[in-house]
Amino acid sequence: MKTNYLFPNKYKKVGLFVLIPTLIIGIVFFGKEPDFLYFNVYSLFGDGLNIFNVVNEVETISLIEDNIFNEIIGVLLIISSLLVGFSEEKLEDEFISTLRLKSLTRAVYVNYGILLVSFFSVYGLNFAWLAIFNIFTFLLIFISIFNFNLWRFKKSAKDEE
Amino acid sequence: MKNNIKIERARNNFTQADLAEKAQVSRQTINAMEAGKYVPSTLLSLKMAEIFKVEISELFQLEKKDWK
Repeated sequence: MKTNYLFPNKYKKVGLFVLIPTLIIGIVFFGKEPDFLYFNVYSLFGDGLNIFNVVNEVETISLIEDNIFNEIIGVLLIISSLLVGFSEEKLEDEFISTLRLKSLTRAVYVNYGILLVSFFSVYGLNFAWLAIFNIFTFLLIFISIFNFNLWRFKKSAKDEE
Repeated sequence: MKNNIKIERARNNFTQADLAEKAQVSRQTINAMEAGKYVPSTLLSLKMAEIFKVEISELFQLEKKDWK
């Protein structure tokens, strides 16, 4: 009965503590990779095409030089979003589990609704960008919907006794 | 589904918070159930019946619209 595949409650705060600054840094420094972050990385499957500048060399199973700013921001965003979205609430009861599931369903509809619309309105490289953003927006949409529902739920029953 | 949680609560002189603590759920969950906005799981229903020392059928009754 106790397996709910969620992280302990304290990780929600840890997640928020990482997520908010990472989001801000990611947006502010978007497309501006700091020079000191160039490193040799092992590329299992690359095509030599960098979205900011074309390098033109095959990069399959080889060492390449790459700016790891994107990688750091991406990893931090995904891990922290998962922690915020999938940590238990202080009192994780069955109602909250239901709320989580409903929010997840809505998030899927909203996220893929946006994607469906953009299939017919966003083209070229901009669509590629949108797909990249979509990696993160799904979790962010879920977090927003779930926490809004949670806030409404906690606000309910203030008067009753 | 109809329920008599509020009546049983009054009979036992419990506040929503008292019942919430005993049933290990949040007070808002009790409120949602009393308002008919949430149908509890079998487990929680059994727990509440045990807390009130009543049969589960005294606490919850099916309505016609549950069959639709």
